[in-house]
Amino acid sequence: MSTGAQLIMLWENIAMSVRSIAANKGRAVLTALGVMIGVGSVIALTALGTGAAVSVEARLGNLGANLMIVYSGQPRGTALVRTRTTNIAPALTIDDLAFIDSLPPDLVVMTSPESSINGQLKFENRNTAATVIGTDTDYPEIRNFRPVFGDFFTPADLEGRRNVVAIGVQVYRDLFPDGRDPLGTTIRMNGLPFTVVGIMEEKGNPGQDASVLIPLTTFRRSLSGSDRYAIINIQAASPDVMYQLQEIIETQLLAFRRLPSMELADFYIANQMDLIGTVRGVADTFTLLLGGIAAISLLVGGIGIMNIMLVSVTERTREIGVRMALGAKGRHVMTQFLTEAVILSAGGGLIGVGLGYAGAWGAWRFGGLAAVVSPESVLIAFGFALVTGLFFGGYPAYRASRLDPIEALRYE
Amino acid sequence: MIHLTDVHKHYQMGPTVVRALDGVSMSVDAGEFVAIVGPSGSGKSTMMNIIGCLDSPDAGSYLLAGEEAAERSADELAEIRNRNIGFVFQSFNLLPRASAVENVELPLIYRGISGRVRRRMAEAMLERVGLADRSRHLPAELSGGQRQRVAIARALVGNPSVLLADEPTGALDTHTGEEIMTLFEQLNAEGVTVVLVTHDPHLARRAARAITLLDGRVTTATALEVRP
Repeated sequence: MSTGAQLIMLWENIAMSVRSIAANKGRAVLTALGVMIGVGSVIALTALGTGAAVSVEARLGNLGANLMIVYSGQPRGTALVRTRTTNIAPALTIDDLAFIDSLPPDLVVMTSPESSINGQLKFENRNTAATVIGTDTDYPEIRNFRPVFGDFFTPADLEGRRNVVAIGVQVYRDLFPDGRDPLGTTIRMNGLPFTVVGIMEEKGNPGQDASVLIPLTTFRRSLSGSDRYAIINIQAASPDVMYQLQEIIETQLLAFRRLPSMELADFYIANQMDLIGTVRGVADTFTLLLGGIAAISLLVGGIGIMNIMLVSVTERTREIGVRMALGAKGRHVMTQFLTEAVILSAGGGLIGVGLGYAGAWGAWRFGGLAAVVSPESVLIAFGFALVTGLFFGGYPAYRASRLDPIEALRYE
Repeated sequence: MIHLTDVHKHYQMGPTVVRALDGVSMSVDAGEFVAIVGPSGSGKSTMMNIIGCLDSPDAGSYLLAGEEAAERSADELAEIRNRNIGFVFQSFNLLPRASAVENVELPLIYRGISGRVRRRMAEAMLERVGLADRSRHLPAELSGGQRQRVAIARALVGNPSVLLADEPTGALDTHTGEEIMTLFEQLNAEGVTVVLVTHDPHLARRAARAITLLDGRVTTATALEVRP
């Protein structure tokens, strides 16, 4: 057959299929329902999976760009989100910090040491507990934790060991429930007077919102007396150098301590890549799981299509006989029924794409969930629906094409 | 046009072999109007299936329009049917969801003829059977006689070698059946080769020649008196 004739056949097949589907609208909708739900759930569920990963990654970026932290003690939990280190003996020395500071700028952009204790804060007749963090002026940049009102303390404050404090938003709310401007006000911290210079931004994480920040020099002289740091915050030059940098620091700090391996060390290092990797791993597993569920529902949808196509072939046995008597070959009959199955599954798939978008939107609008519809999931789900139609329409179409015209014409 | 030589067709029915056709030889020339008659079980249907290329003989030769039609694949048979055979069935066998003109177009679709040409040919053929004004009607909206006319138009639209009619008046009342027979006679007069398969000797008398089958054999090939 020439290409022209094939095009004519294709067009005829589509027209015939549409007519036959239109003659059984209710049945067609029910048949395609499985595919609709399958495609819709693939898109909506993977949108939720992707959305969850994106929002967690955004929250991780919120911790500070390319953040790497050297902690005192032994690793425990997901170190990057844990800021309460007040119970652990500070183990990081001035030499440790000096070494990290000496690393070239294509590895380390800046560092900021910190130590902390539990503090009792008092203003007028109000009391609150907070983590008192002594650090330097690079801290807001490294930890992406900045004052929203007033200022952070200055290098001059650090130099002069002044009793100044930038307070977390929870501390502000506890001490100044009337919402007054606290700048310049003196509060008492473990009995010592400190002047408020700023209020830190809200991070939604109690470790930071219920903390206060004072110059490390002041911290050492007045509150701890130790010349060691609990933590060294590091901003690496890029995500790519993180693991290399981590290894360099581990090696040198172990050498300083004359220790053979990290198992015996009194410090450990956490970096953002670990966490992002973990989150991505979880998200991938999640997406795979959802994809599996969706694939099963598409399979069920496909079986629905096969079932209806078998019924359709049986119902139209006589029509098939007539068409064969008039000159339809097996493959004409085959393509006719395949076209019908594919139109059903493609139609169901298209509606499913709409349902998927609607579902993702609804989860965002009414459920407050982050949902990101990825074009890949739409393409994969729709493609899968088409393949389902071809595959499950294939058997009924084959059966139709193999009918004996004499038997088919005699069929009542 | 049609040459059957010693055609055999056997069926296995349980333990017994049914010799539906047991050495049939016959010919139909171009432009003839021939009836194939016989009671049920005579092998009439098998004969018609073989002439119509719906089935192949087990043995023997079948020449249709100079072409050997025995021992062909299903696809080749489909093509021969499409080109050479115009079927008219007792129960019309129109597609219920297609209009009259769409039904007439069907054989042309499988010939790969484009929509516009097809439509023109189908309309012309409907006009020839006297249904020009009914072309957009669905079969359900037509009377029995009109449906059979649509079926005849469909059989003729591809300009086949033979019009093969199987009890074409069987589902019609006497009057309408008479009209259809008149249409066959008229088409035959215009040069169409007609083979009429029927159990009704009365109807067979309308043909120029009747071939009678009994138990899978041709008993008489009666030359009826030539019509005026």
